[in-house]
Amino acid sequence: MQHPFQCIASVQLPGQATGEEYLAAACGPRLMLVNAGKGIVAARWSTSPTNATSEDKYDEAEAGERPAKKQKTSNAASHAPNIIKLTVSPNQQYIVAVTDDKFIHVLEIVGHGELKELSQRCMPKRPCAIQVLPDNATIICGDKFGDVYSLPLLPSEVAPIQDVEPGAEDGEAAKQEDPAFKPSATVLTVHSKRNRMALEAQMQQKNFTAKKEPLKFEHKLLLGHVSMLTDVIYATREVEGKQRGHIITADRDEHIRISRAPPQSHIIEGYCLGHTEFVSKLCLIPGTDLLVSGGGDSWLGVWDWPTFKLRRKFDIRDAVLDVVEEVAQRADMDTTEAIKQADKSVVVSGLWTAPFTNAKGKQEIALLVACERRPSLFIVPVSRLMLKKDQKTTQSRIDYPVLDVACVGDRLIVSVDGRRDGSPCLRVAQLHQAEETKGEVLSEKDEEMEAKLQCLMTSSKDIPADDKALDDLLYGVGNLRKRRGWDAPGDGAGGTEVDPTSMPMDPNHTEVVEVEDDLTVRKL
Amino acid sequence: MAGPPNKRQKREEKHEGQMPQKKFYRQRAHANPFSDHDLTYPEHPSAMRWSEHYPHFVATIPAAVPKDDPIATRDYNEYYVARMEKRVEVADIGCGFGGLLFALAPRMPATLILGLEIRTSVAEFVQDKAKALRLQQQQQPPASAGAETPPVPGGYENVSCIRANTMKFLPNFFAKAQLTKIFLCFPDPHFKARKHKARIVSATLNSEYAFVLAPGGMVYTITDVEDLHVWMVEHLAAHPSFARVAEGEAEGDECVAVMRRETEEGKKVERNGGRKFVAVFRRLEDPAWP
Repeated sequence: MQHPFQCIASVQLPGQATGEEYLAAACGPRLMLVNAGKGIVAARWSTSPTNATSEDKYDEAEAGERPAKKQKTSNAASHAPNIIKLTVSPNQQYIVAVTDDKFIHVLEIVGHGELKELSQRCMPKRPCAIQVLPDNATIICGDKFGDVYSLPLLPSEVAPIQDVEPGAEDGEAAKQEDPAFKPSATVLTVHSKRNRMALEAQMQQKNFTAKKEPLKFEHKLLLGHVSMLTDVIYATREVEGKQRGHIITADRDEHIRISRAPPQSHIIEGYCLGHTEFVSKLCLIPGTDLLVSGGGDSWLGVWDWPTFKLRRKFDIRDAVLDVVEEVAQRADMDTTEAIKQADKSVVVSGLWTAPFTNAKGKQEIALLVACERRPSLFIVPVSRLMLKKDQKTTQSRIDYPVLDVACVGDRLIVSVDGRRDGSPCLRVAQLHQAEETKGEVLSEKDEEMEAKLQCLMTSSKDIPADDKALDDLLYGVGNLRKRRGWDAPGDGAGGTEVDPTSMPMDPNHTEVVEVEDDLTVRKL
Repeated sequence: MAGPPNKRQKREEKHEGQMPQKKFYRQRAHANPFSDHDLTYPEHPSAMRWSEHYPHFVATIPAAVPKDDPIATRDYNEYYVARMEKRVEVADIGCGFGGLLFALAPRMPATLILGLEIRTSVAEFVQDKAKALRLQQQQQPPASAGAETPPVPGGYENVSCIRANTMKFLPNFFAKAQLTKIFLCFPDPHFKARKHKARIVSATLNSEYAFVLAPGGMVYTITDVEDLHVWMVEHLAAHPSFARVAEGEAEGDECVAVMRRETEEGKKVERNGGRKFVAVFRRLEDPAWP
């Protein structure tokens, strides 16, 4: 079975000739840099299983009071961790890869596309979005716990040990503190019998290490949500002749927040509110003030982000259901049932923009949309996003679910999940617009480049792949959906009866739903 | 399971206008702010129907607008009923059984005060109490008719409560710079270092308080746990949007006195002979863009 490429990114080496485009592709734990024009794998790099042990060490230190909850990573310590995010610095010199053991790896591209690992840093929580700022010196990283950190792209030689957090004193204060443990609670603050007993036990306890070990590298906490972050992007906008930087963050609780960029990241400028389900992806439309957001709603939000206004709900429900119907027909399944199932679970898993030449020969931008597990890429010219009546998208039918998209030169490289039958996992297409199809954007296959990218497939054949592990790695977005009504309080207030068959009951769902003790849980 | 259904029934047995009894609304004092409770919240502050909470402050339909106004006909009543004369300006985050709310209400009768509480039953208690108090005030004979107690200014029409997880959904309820005062009274101390992100004051959450507070607005904190007090002072004072109000000035603030005396938890601490730590912070103007 072929392991698909979970993340891809285009790389433009300095002095690179046309037809010598490079593509970085992550396949499980391996990262490959390929010269797409020539079809040669220029460099290979792989994560090493040793990382896992240092992670455990960190967790132990963090836990302090009691063992941390078991990490549910599918990787046992013996496996090399998978790459889950990939980004390239704006100057195209560095590749930043995030692995599912919470490490951020910085790789330098040296010479003719060789990769050299410069650093690896373990974050406190699993990163979910990462970007290198235009200064080519700072990484911003949003994590599962809702926090956004900035770290220098290249860690300084002498790593200062400090937990820089707005508000918290640096390492000094921690060191000066009395090593003997003193509980924060006193007999005056706890009253119940059980709590008093617990306090007594705490008082008798000796050599207690509740200190959380600070991160051993320079970092700064910029901002945070009390929710899982799903996407973080850096956006600039010119106001009064000056560039203003912003950080736009999206979370599982339907929020899109716009903050100022550092050093004023503590200031929230506003929220783009209107989604009723989780937001999973954000995408800025180049050359405009538009922001497109997608997630668990059956529409894309088109926002004028400087004013936080929702300009348009661009419906994608029909387009997605068309695909579902077709897939069901092909598989000889009950189409009405398939549509019913899919109707409630539109999950946008990817948003990208790509340039194309329109029917009049001008350069335009198209928005590309991928929905989780749906074998199609939806294409919308950006100029149509704001046309009130037009809800039409062009579907680029691809036989397999779309995982990631990268623009290499004027070509579109689409990574698909074709694990089963050994068909190419990387498809190459070129967007164009034809007059006769009423201006719809079409994609045309580029067989030549596709053949050249086959070299990546041959050099990743040895990567083990099993279905369950792949599903966990590739299809996590749908799990962000809240299971409403499930933990409704037993006293009936607002508790909604939910048909259990309609619930996305994923056994791999790792989100722990904690329930208040004194509320009776309505069992399904 | 015993408990809730019974309690619920008992709650409903009282006749209209009778004060709710706390014992039927008790709920465990801790809630996990990270879990997806079955919460109801507006998708945007403008979608919040405040009219249900403050019926006395609903904007009246201007006489100048004809009933068949093409703009208004679509949902004429809907539109105007949802319109409010005033916006909520004071928020008590984690209001508990609402001691502070009902003490503040008569002191600022023209200001809308909202309690936010994550525990369903407790929020319900405050709502029921507000209803009962309003009814009592309405039914009370006017002072001239020889009433025993003078009527309360505002008649408790300016106080209400909603069930909400403010750590997640504060910006769903309040727009930028809408509030003038935020109270954080006796919050859950979350003693364990591992749980510090669950504290109501944190470096990152403070930015949200700054967002909903107007410049010059105040954050009031009170706790009986010294560690938590130190934590809250450290984090709020270190946040560039806040400056601590000098103790002398804070003590002169009537709200501080009310907060010390009237919160339910404050009374309990008093009974147990505990200490109370107060800190007040002012929202500063945002600096210019760099």
